[in-house]
Amino acid sequence: MSRRIAEHPILGVQEKGEKVTFLCDGEILEGYEGEPIAAALRAAGIMKHRYTKKEHTPRGIFCAIGRCTDCVMIVDGKPNIRTCVTPLKQGMKVQTQYGVSPKPFEKQ
Amino acid sequence: MKRYDLIVVGAGPSGLSAAIEGAKRGLQVVVFDENEKPGGQLFKQIHKFFGSKEHKAKIRGFVIGEQLLKEASELGVKVVLNATVTGLYMDKELVVKIADTIYHYKGDAILIATGAAENMVTFEGWTLPGVIGAGAAQTMMNLHGVKPGNRILMLGSGNVGLVVSFQLLQCGCEVAALVDAAPRVGGYGVHAAKVARCGVPFYLSHTIVKAEGEECVTGVTIAEVDKKFQFIPGTEKHFDVDTICLAVGLSPMSQLLKIAGCEMEDNPKRGGQVPICNEYGETSIKGIFVAGDVSGVEEASSAMIEGRIAGIAAAQYLGYIGIEELEEKFEENKAALEGLRQGMFAPENRGKLIERTEEGIPVSMNLLTKGYIAEDEIERYPGVTHRAGIHPVMECSQNIPCNPCQDACPRHCIQIGSHITSLPVVDESAQCVGCGLCVAACSGQAIFLVQEDYEPGYGTVTIPYEFLPLPQKGEKGYGLDRSGQRVCEAQVMEVKTAKTFDHTNLLTIRVPVDMVGKARFYRKIF
Amino acid sequence: MQHINDRAIAPGTFIPEPDDDRIICRCEEVTKGEIRRAVHEGMYTITEIRRYLRTGMGLCQGQTCARLVKGIVAKELGISPAELIPATSRAPMRPVEMKVLAKEEGRHV
Repeated sequence: MSRRIAEHPILGVQEKGEKVTFLCDGEILEGYEGEPIAAALRAAGIMKHRYTKKEHTPRGIFCAIGRCTDCVMIVDGKPNIRTCVTPLKQGMKVQTQYGVSPKPFEKQ
Repeated sequence: MKRYDLIVVGAGPSGLSAAIEGAKRGLQVVVFDENEKPGGQLFKQIHKFFGSKEHKAKIRGFVIGEQLLKEASELGVKVVLNATVTGLYMDKELVVKIADTIYHYKGDAILIATGAAENMVTFEGWTLPGVIGAGAAQTMMNLHGVKPGNRILMLGSGNVGLVVSFQLLQCGCEVAALVDAAPRVGGYGVHAAKVARCGVPFYLSHTIVKAEGEECVTGVTIAEVDKKFQFIPGTEKHFDVDTICLAVGLSPMSQLLKIAGCEMEDNPKRGGQVPICNEYGETSIKGIFVAGDVSGVEEASSAMIEGRIAGIAAAQYLGYIGIEELEEKFEENKAALEGLRQGMFAPENRGKLIERTEEGIPVSMNLLTKGYIAEDEIERYPGVTHRAGIHPVMECSQNIPCNPCQDACPRHCIQIGSHITSLPVVDESAQCVGCGLCVAACSGQAIFLVQEDYEPGYGTVTIPYEFLPLPQKGEKGYGLDRSGQRVCEAQVMEVKTAKTFDHTNLLTIRVPVDMVGKARFYRKIF
Repeated sequence: MQHINDRAIAPGTFIPEPDDDRIICRCEEVTKGEIRRAVHEGMYTITEIRRYLRTGMGLCQGQTCARLVKGIVAKELGISPAELIPATSRAPMRPVEMKVLAKEEGRHV
């Protein structure tokens, strides 16, 4: 978790929830309960959240406050979930969203 | 449907301030905020605020947020989080989504304090993962403790771009460059200087040509632009970065007011679509008030005052207080607001090139184009003096509304006077004892303690230092000048940390005597 | 303020620009060229552009692109963006599932 800020010069050591594991496209990742899914993904070095419907281009975090909806993914089977404002829970299943499907375009 | 005297939308600086003033006067107040945490942008603002005591100067934004929340809760204000107001209808009815349910509320008075949203610019590759808003960077690092990237290019030299660049450096990211299409730095010079002395190069009159990468950002190309903002061929520069941060201004988030039917105007000076409102923040619909960025983009300090005024006005509208109290409080707050709207960065000066300070001193052009005051410009400012023994050197060169340094010095060495935007001057008759309180109190980190006669051939410079790891006493490294260039070897003589410094550590470095006027930052030898 | 909705304005012939393929509306993936072309096809107001191309009609409801689209349309018509009537704002302000919208009134806080 090298992207995590261990100790901040002003904010100190930040309080975090319990360490949890979750699945991202089948891979087991670690994060902290209650932090946005997007924060856990960025900490794990994952940049791409989805591929767009028309042009099939990758998208990731853009505004990080739930406004731009660029970071949406399929969470526990539901598409279009804003990962930057959705708290992480133990055992969550997160999938890259292709259009609105979990299946890559060539399999759709 | 449930009724409240005052419903506030947005738990940021203005919304909370309004709720506090309303509740103080007996109103039953509820605040809805769509975020998981209250405080709006305050909790991402980890720098010390400008202004004077009444504006909560030298207190960090997130601490102000905590203070406001505490005060609100003590007064019985209900703050409901994860509550998205999705609509505002006739007769002040609100539709609020909380978790998976829709609720209806009616407010006898409504205050909309929804703040602003970030503007964006487009360029080739701007949809690639790794291109983010500056607000996103702040959210990731300061709220969630995750670095937004490792190596970052910042677009935008306004206060947001400058402050976020510094915050990125503080959390251990590398800032490859700070770029702005404008010919001059838009934000406070002191914010720019903090970033520049860490070695971040400034590229004014430059903008992004393209973000590079197939699946996410791997690099960026910038180029110089002419007066019409057209790229000048042959001026392209490439940087390997994994993140591009956009800080190109804010627009009021005023959609709820439009839904409600408030009269709106397109006012570029206030940042875009804003409601037409009176001096108390009341819109064209009686009992619907606004405060903060939603009615015109400014700073959090002014948002708090606008919130106070609107909260008091709501109490008067509902008959909880008389017009006399409103008028009296309004005058007080108006004075505080006017205090903040003075100086070179006052709203009416937006976009203007100001060539001289109020004192008639030429403004540093190097500061406006490179982010730091040049060697041959620094001596002209009244805070920069030479004398025997330890003394403050104040590299404060612009008229901004800020005066904590004056109050910080127990010996009264520093004077700003009654005019809050004046440049600080050193009182030659007072004796500096080297306590460093002024260094820690300066929100712009522009005060240094200098001793030119520390020992034969050497002097010392005490600098504000807000990075980790903290250097150790005796450690050797380099002195960096205002542009971030290594200019000399330096040894750490003292590291002072105190609660009153509020996380601004004071680092005293020993440098060759000819470098006391140059060395303004320290870096360890690795 | 006088708002422009003047059919007498003739934006002239459409001249392709090198960055016409650039995405402006990130949600609905509408390009600059499509917006410019729509103006030349007679869509002079933001509302018309929205209905014609779906700019600002996606998940984010125009949070990011509203200002950008306005700028492009205004430039094409040779007017200031402030002269264009902004699009109508409608609830819901954020994406809400239909089943949530249909589930009214829980216990109040």
